[in-house]
Amino acid sequence: MIKNLKEKAVTWSRIKSPWVLHYNSGSCNGCDIETLDALTPRFDIERFGVLLKGSPRHADVLLVTGAVTKQQAKRLRRVYDQMAAPKFVVAIGACACSGGVMYGCYGVLGGVDKIIPVSAYIPGCPPRPEALIDGVVKLLSTLKK
Amino acid sequence: MEIIKELIIGLFYIIVFPGLLFLVIYGGLSEWLDRKFYAQMQNRQGPPWYQPFADIIKLMSKQVIIPKAADKKMFKILPFIAIAAINTSIFMIPIFSNSALYGFRGDIIAVIYLLSIPTATLFLIGWSSTSPYATIGSMRVLTQLFAYEVPLLIAVLGPCILAGSWSIEDVAVFFTNNPWLMLVNIIGFLVAIVALQGKLERVPFDIPHAETEIVGGVFTEYSGRLYGFMRLALDMEMVVVAALINAVFLGGSFGYSGWIGLLLFVIKTEFVVFLLSVLKAAMARVKINQMVDFCWKWLAPFAILQILICIVARFMING
Ligand code: SF4
Repeated sequence: MIKNLKEKAVTWSRIKSPWVLHYNSGSCNGCDIETLDALTPRFDIERFGVLLKGSPRHADVLLVTGAVTKQQAKRLRRVYDQMAAPKFVVAIGACACSGGVMYGCYGVLGGVDKIIPVSAYIPGCPPRPEALIDGVVKLLSTLKK
Repeated sequence: MEIIKELIIGLFYIIVFPGLLFLVIYGGLSEWLDRKFYAQMQNRQGPPWYQPFADIIKLMSKQVIIPKAADKKMFKILPFIAIAAINTSIFMIPIFSNSALYGFRGDIIAVIYLLSIPTATLFLIGWSSTSPYATIGSMRVLTQLFAYEVPLLIAVLGPCILAGSWSIEDVAVFFTNNPWLMLVNIIGFLVAIVALQGKLERVPFDIPHAETEIVGGVFTEYSGRLYGFMRLALDMEMVVVAALINAVFLGGSFGYSGWIGLLLFVIKTEFVVFLLSVLKAAMARVKINQMVDFCWKWLAPFAILQILICIVARFMING
């Protein structure tokens, strides 16, 4: 009974307080601008408890934008390893999902899921801030199950 | 039998009221109010009231990563030292009435020094995690400590000189009896509010953990439970300093106790929190040299001016 209650409280707190970390693994900057847009007071994602954190150690959700270049693959892996479990990855933009327009380029490995496990994909070139917020909220609502 | 009874009462003081539990709950609510005020001033809605508690529960349930290069013992112990120091200092500050639990003569100095222990642990945290960002952060913590601590101490001494006592209780009682004399201390009050912004590492003076420059500052390597405790310590520190300002500058509970005392305490401490968040919303971060310049060239002289005013006022009262 108490264990059950504890588990419920923990799940609730995870849904209510996702702290995000933004990482650019080789994007053309379009997705980054939209991501930063979503963090502005206009969209006010602090309503959902989202805070932007600088250090991977504090973050729960890693927002990755752009196709992964060969140079960035090692760094992306390291940033992912530095995060404390439980952790989630959201791939933002067509490039991060599959490679997008950069697919097959000589310096590009492909989508983010080639390097690290991805929990949610948000397509679009670039996706709107609303889509981004919707994606993160949907990802968290799957935690309930 | 007597000993057991005293032990239980002592534990109650430490763990429930006015110790840990009260500080955690009130600290969480104050953090929420602070964030809410801040959000409203940016024309947004802000987080719901349970937000700080959700953050803490989440952090408590996360994995703790301790870097290989870090000093493991220090890394684990330091957050608890900070909490213990803050928890001790609340016993000497009057809360719902004009008497403190363990007040003694000179307790104001003890409280100020107990409150600088968390800052010292912040320095040690950065130092023992050995990451470059954390090390830079801890150097900045120390630099900042030497800038704001002196004006803060001098500003708090003003009311003591006026009241002619070194005990927080006596100062609160003095202002309860002569409420108009609070106006004499207005400069000192403002100086203390600005200096507290440095002590709590909030926006104009949040140089030690400037996200855009040095990632997370001293907290960069902290994760999970340990980071949660550190956040808790900062929240608790905010409550304790607000209570201190309330007792020293704002006349404590005006002689009331019980529910009215509680109401006055909540109103006045949240007023202090409100002032702190107005400062946070109205300003941008300054550089560390500007911060030190400002503290020594403006805050410290104003604090000394306040002391002179207090000495003159003291002579006038005594006739
Ligand atoms: S999805 Fe579009 S906007 Fe985003 S990184 Fe790729 S090309 Fe740029």
